[in-house]
Amino acid sequence: MSLEAGVRLRLGSLDLEASLAVEEGEVVALLGPNGAGKTTLLRVLAGLQPLAGGRVLLDGRVLEDAATGAYVPPERRPIGVVFQDYLLFPHLSALENVEFGLRSRGTPRAQAREEARRWLGEVGLGGHGGARPAHLSGGQRQRVALARALATSPRLLLLDEPMAALDASTRAQLRRDLRRLLAGFRGVRLLVTHDPLEAVTLGGRMVVLEAGRVVQAGSAREITERPRSRYVADLVGTNLLRGRVTGRDGLVELEAGGRLRALGAPSGEVFASVHPRAVALYRERPAGTPRNVWSGRPESMELLGDRVRVRVAGSPSIVAEVTPAAVQELRLGEGGEVWVSVKATEVEVYPA
Amino acid sequence: MLLAIPAAIGAAFFILPLVGLLLRAPWGDALRDLAAPETLEALRLSLVASLSATALSLVLGVPLAWIYARLEFPGRTLLRALTTLPMVLPPVVGGLALLLAFGRRGFAGAWLSAGLGLTLPFTTAGVVMAETFVAMPFLVLTVESGLRSMDTRYEEAARTLGAGRWTVFRRVTLPLIGPSLFAGAVLCWARALGEFGATITFAGNFPGRTQTMPLGVYLLLETNPGASIVLSLLLLLVSLAVLVGLRDRWLGSA
Repeated sequence: MSLEAGVRLRLGSLDLEASLAVEEGEVVALLGPNGAGKTTLLRVLAGLQPLAGGRVLLDGRVLEDAATGAYVPPERRPIGVVFQDYLLFPHLSALENVEFGLRSRGTPRAQAREEARRWLGEVGLGGHGGARPAHLSGGQRQRVALARALATSPRLLLLDEPMAALDASTRAQLRRDLRRLLAGFRGVRLLVTHDPLEAVTLGGRMVVLEAGRVVQAGSAREITERPRSRYVADLVGTNLLRGRVTGRDGLVELEAGGRLRALGAPSGEVFASVHPRAVALYRERPAGTPRNVWSGRPESMELLGDRVRVRVAGSPSIVAEVTPAAVQELRLGEGGEVWVSVKATEVEVYPA
Repeated sequence: MLLAIPAAIGAAFFILPLVGLLLRAPWGDALRDLAAPETLEALRLSLVASLSATALSLVLGVPLAWIYARLEFPGRTLLRALTTLPMVLPPVVGGLALLLAFGRRGFAGAWLSAGLGLTLPFTTAGVVMAETFVAMPFLVLTVESGLRSMDTRYEEAARTLGAGRWTVFRRVTLPLIGPSLFAGAVLCWARALGEFGATITFAGNFPGRTQTMPLGVYLLLETNPGASIVLSLLLLLVSLAVLVGLRDRWLGSA
């Protein structure tokens, strides 16, 4: 069981051209900023948005092929979709919502009711079958939507930001539940999200979509260590610098000004990523081992858990992560000149 | 104060004629007039014809509204204008047009009577037709606006759940536009109930067959003004009940 899609289309200002392959049993998180085309890609896979070029295959079966004009309408695709705001039918009860897909696909009434009950129980809403969506909480609605999508035993499960409409307090619990339910599902799972935490906890592999293009794909670890765009770097909270290596000395000439020494840098156009934790700050110019030292001015600070992220303007500008005690000790709030130091071993350099 | 005076005059303008009806109503004879066979006959015919016209409008008008709301095709604007023309056209002109098309000598009427043996003018079926002609546009426009304002993503969700277009329409679209459907049907029915011009032109004025209440009111004005007033009051009561019942669904939201 696998999904293979090469998709090309224009929609308003969006120019989407993306390929996606998801293997049997895999969970892929489609990550990207708003307007990147994530939802549009999902709609293409569901058959709700026609293709201009390319094709979509599920288990080797053609769902759509722009070249031959082949097109399987949504109602005949083996899919289940959880929409961003769930789109539960407001005029039907929770149970009837779950039943809807089963009935539409020809399950006899009594059996459909039986299975819908079982699914509602599965998502922990056994006692809420008679309630209309308007009388359910956001989290409950999400579970009904999930039960509704899963009840028809789809082979491709599409989830469009399933957590976006929930408040933070209910998210953690629901994320755990969703993870359990997704684990029990056999088939191809594709999750659209702009929350990296969601992608990490629910997705196995991540595909990053930006402005209609896949900019990066890989495991959470790969993406965290070697981000390939400003968006991904911000997402995983790391410093990403672009530059060029000319000699064999591992010296990266940065586009934004300045240079960084790294170990084992490839030559040519490169990305250099430095985790804020690896950036040290001093008031006096440090002496000794660190190979990269430059000066700058602290610009802004942000509290992140028990750490403080300090943005230092300089050549290059960089974000450092220090303890609140260090902020006090270095009197970072007063501004002035600070020294930035990064060990060469902490600079990850990879081809751009 | 600047607004209150014209507003009061405006309200009085509508209320005074009703008071006139109430003052001149022959209350003593009202019950007798109401129970007269002609009155009951006209009332029955009015109800049967207006309800039939509403049913016909639902069957034909809802699909028409769906096409206007959901399909893009050349000439849609013109077609919509043509099919809603009866809303602004003097009903007499509508009746005349119907007569010229479906009358015995009309091109469609000749074909109907030769081919199917159907004669429409001056029959109860003709009354239903005239009323449908005048009233259906109200339903079409109301339902179309309901369809346009509904969230079509529910229909998409239904399709991903395996529902074909007809199932989607029946189980999702229709229930979701329920309020518009209801308001459209009531407006259509009220318009059909009060229909006069097109009916008298196309269907004539035969008691028991084509004489509906509005026609009866007009006719009785000559022979029995008292009964005419009682009939008018009956029509007024029905219309008022409909408007009061609709105030939240349609008038309130307008």
